[in-house]
Amino acid sequence: MADSDVAGKLMPLAEAVKKFIPDGCRLRSGGIAVRKPFAVIYEVMRQRKRDLTFLMSGWTEDADWLIGAGCVDRLEGSYLGLEALGLAQCYRRAVEKGVPRRILIEEYSNFGMTMRFMAAGMGLPFMPVKSQLGSDLLAVEAFRHPKAQVLEDPFGSGEKVALLPACPADVALLHAQRCDEDGNAQVWGQLGDDLWGTYAGKRVLLTVEEVVPTRVIRHDPNRTIVPGFRVDAIVRTPFGGHPYQVQGYYDTDRAFRRDYAARSATLEGWQSWADEWVYGVEGHEEYLKKLGEERLAKLRAKPVMSGRVNYGY
Amino acid sequence: MATEATAAAALPYKRTELMAICAAREIRDGEIAFIGTGLPMLGGMLAKHTHAPNCIMIFESGVVDARPKRTPLSIGDGCLVPGSVMLCGLTEVFGLLMQAGHVDVGYIGGAQIDKFGNLNTTVIGDYRSPKVRLPGSGGANDIGSLAKRTIIMMKQDRLKFVQKIDYVTTPGYLDGPGGRERVGLPRGGPACVISDMGVYRFDPQTKEMFLETFHPGLAVDEIRKNVSWDLVVSPKVRATKPPTKRELQVLRTRCDPEGIFLGT
Repeated sequence: MADSDVAGKLMPLAEAVKKFIPDGCRLRSGGIAVRKPFAVIYEVMRQRKRDLTFLMSGWTEDADWLIGAGCVDRLEGSYLGLEALGLAQCYRRAVEKGVPRRILIEEYSNFGMTMRFMAAGMGLPFMPVKSQLGSDLLAVEAFRHPKAQVLEDPFGSGEKVALLPACPADVALLHAQRCDEDGNAQVWGQLGDDLWGTYAGKRVLLTVEEVVPTRVIRHDPNRTIVPGFRVDAIVRTPFGGHPYQVQGYYDTDRAFRRDYAARSATLEGWQSWADEWVYGVEGHEEYLKKLGEERLAKLRAKPVMSGRVNYGY
Repeated sequence: MATEATAAAALPYKRTELMAICAAREIRDGEIAFIGTGLPMLGGMLAKHTHAPNCIMIFESGVVDARPKRTPLSIGDGCLVPGSVMLCGLTEVFGLLMQAGHVDVGYIGGAQIDKFGNLNTTVIGDYRSPKVRLPGSGGANDIGSLAKRTIIMMKQDRLKFVQKIDYVTTPGYLDGPGGRERVGLPRGGPACVISDMGVYRFDPQTKEMFLETFHPGLAVDEIRKNVSWDLVVSPKVRATKPPTKRELQVLRTRCDPEGIFLGT
């Protein structure tokens, strides 16, 4: 059934986080370094959410920040590092020393996590994969039992698969380039795990670079990743993916990522970084002001326009 | 003063450059290559600009046949998008392209490796109270399980080339001949290991890694000292072919002009 409360979907960031991300919930965010909803992550930290189970295929700074801020109890996912910039140091402190608190992680592969989201999105209890077989990803369990099951094809081929349990989320975050006021959301560029990760959410919290008239969406419906009736809240957050890139809007802020990687190496460095960029900032608008127009202008994408197609019949 | 540092400095290239060039040489023209960030990406770009113009680079963020015009810092880098032939998601590239058997070669790195090419990128030490917590599998396990062959790239010392790895993140040949088949892996396995000291291949019978070439400036004995098992050395062992002028020039000017992964 379509949500009749359409007018109420567009809301400020703080209100959306307060309303849709309760302590202890299962929270899915966008992985694989594509359109990461960082504005929401910052607000979750500012509201000092607790005991989250954070779900993702490829965590980077987002998970490291939430762990450093003490927001996370458990993780289900596949990778947590700063890619070319090195190891995630808040994650290391939590796992190696219990600072600021102990966390548990249940590990799968990237493909495995996405198939788990697909199962949840499709209303299935599990999905099979042919990776993970023979590895410690199947053998070592943290808090899920069984974490996976190996099954020989019941139809007689003799092939083996690993069955992975569905990974439902209470709320899935999606950062999209644009949507209309109903929340019909469009993305382009790499899709990462966003399709299945979004549908794994019982509720969907959408942030966008732009809210556009519905005719813009309806002129190019192939680009829509999720229809508005699956979206519960919309927050307009220009540069909401900073310090990562959003195709067609802005590039990665490499200097910002490098600064974080360097400062988070020590607990004191992490704290001063978080005080400066998270707790010392009132909200997303102030964050953008702090970055400054000059810095943002340098990040803005140059136009590389697509072709057009005929949708006629 | 003939120290190791001055001997290495005498070479007209860096070891990271040689590693990226060795990575490029593993790609044959027309192959489908699954690429991660770092040296493998430079290898893929270099191969495309030199001997393998028709190879197709696939990225797990969902890019098929990327033609990046700058050095991508991340697998989600926006520069991978313009000029590619298809943009999709992780499920499509891993499921439809790799699991179904259409990817020829995939690259992975590692923090620890054993003689059968099994890799650990998860923890150093005990899993529940590790000395160092590493990033984990990411797509590595999927690549190592599902590509037709894998190329492993990593730095080498006795703590990395070990008898027993602390966690099997990505299967190589597991416990040896027949290991992959027994657990149900459909194909594949490591074809070679490119370290900062040499290039290794795997014996088709024993599935054990052996030293094929040592990088110029290094001796086999020195390499043995940086492996914690009794290393098999090919009877035909020789020096790794040094970079050609063209390889170095393309690598430095077109693949990583800022030295992001090669070092400055």
